[in-house]
This record gives sequence, structure tokens and C-alpha cells, in this order.
Amino acid sequence: MRPKYLLPFNFRYFGIGLILVHIPIKLLWDAMYPEGYGDHDPISDSAGNFLFSPPHLFFIGTTLMVLVGLFLVAFSRERVEDEQITQLRLDSLRWAIYLNYAILLFGLIFTHGSESGHILMLNIWLPLLFFILRFQWVLYRLNRSARSNDSEKKV
Amino acid sequence: MTNSIRVERAIKEITQAELAGQVGVSRQTINSIESNKYIPSTLLALKIARVFSKTVEEIFHLEKNDI
Repeated sequence: MRPKYLLPFNFRYFGIGLILVHIPIKLLWDAMYPEGYGDHDPISDSAGNFLFSPPHLFFIGTTLMVLVGLFLVAFSRERVEDEQITQLRLDSLRWAIYLNYAILLFGLIFTHGSESGHILMLNIWLPLLFFILRFQWVLYRLNRSARSNDSEKKV
Repeated sequence: MTNSIRVERAIKEITQAELAGQVGVSRQTINSIESNKYIPSTLLALKIARVFSKTVEEIFHLEKNDI
């Protein structure tokens, strides 16, 4: 069975690179503007051109780097992408959606105003991150189980 | 569902990795199937049975709680 709609294996390294590159850029920005760069809230920007303002462009740029990086890591295929891996992938994706909506509902019930916005921001990258962590964890357990079976046979 | 892949492998003298290569899956998947932790698809079950020149029913067996 040939897996569909997955990226080539090596794309994960490009994704990890994007996430790592984003860190020094963010640190540099924070070092340059420790007090914040003017008005960060695009809605209340008096000039009305928030789309091309440096903080907004920086926010979009870094957010895109992290999101694209997470996406590439999450959806690049494994070396051997067989039907068991596909099932583990789907299971992890389901758990990521469960967790995401649990946090979203919890956040919407117990927060208000700008705090709700923060919960929505969290939801941008949380499903991808949780999916990656859960998927890699089950892969690790699968490999460990195969190795322990091998060592049992040798004894 | 149980299976006799481990026995059939021993008779045919092939490793998990060799069987995995012949049916196009990872060695971990063959290990999971042998340990009854993963139930293969019909397609994979047919491929495994073909490697041992047997029918699917001769390799895979339903348990009481499956019926």
C-alpha cells in the first residue's frame, strides 16, 4: 500500500531547520526591542497600515517559519511507511484533535477578552506539536518492543 | 486473532527482516504481527500467506473472542 499525501522523508530535516533558525531570529528581535516594537496591536494601529508594519511582518514571518517547520516534520513519511505506521499516524492525529478541542473548549469557557485570543493562538500550533510528540513516542515504543523481542530470543 | 508466522519463518528459515522485505513492510510490523499486537490488512495477510505458499486461513486463526 503506497501512502498518499505525504511529503518525502528528507523534508523533515528542512522543517527542523526552519524551527531552529526561527529561535535565534526571535531572540535577536527580542534583544533589539526589549521594550517591544511600538504598538503591537494591529487593530488599534492609528496609521491603519498594520499589514506592512515591522512587528506584524516579523510575527507573520516567524509564525510561518514555525508552522511550516512543524508541518514538514509532521507530514514527511517515515523510511518505511507501511500500513502499521499509517495506523499509528492516524491514531496520533485523532488524539491531537481531541486534545486541541479539549483545550479550546476549556479555554473558551474559562477565559474572556484577550485571553481567548491567546487560546486561539495556542491552537495554531498545538495540534501539530502534539501529533509529532505522540507519533514519535509510539514509534519509539514500537522500535523498543521489537528490540526487546530480539534480545529475549537471544537469551 | 493469532498467527503461525513465527513457525512458518522457522520452517522456511527466513528472518523477520527478510519476510518484511518480501512483503514490503518494516521489520517492526512483522514483529508486531507475530506478537499479536497488530492485525494486518487483508492485502498484507494475503502477501504473507503467498510467501509461505499457504492460504490465509493456514497462517491466521480466529480466536473465540473474535467470533
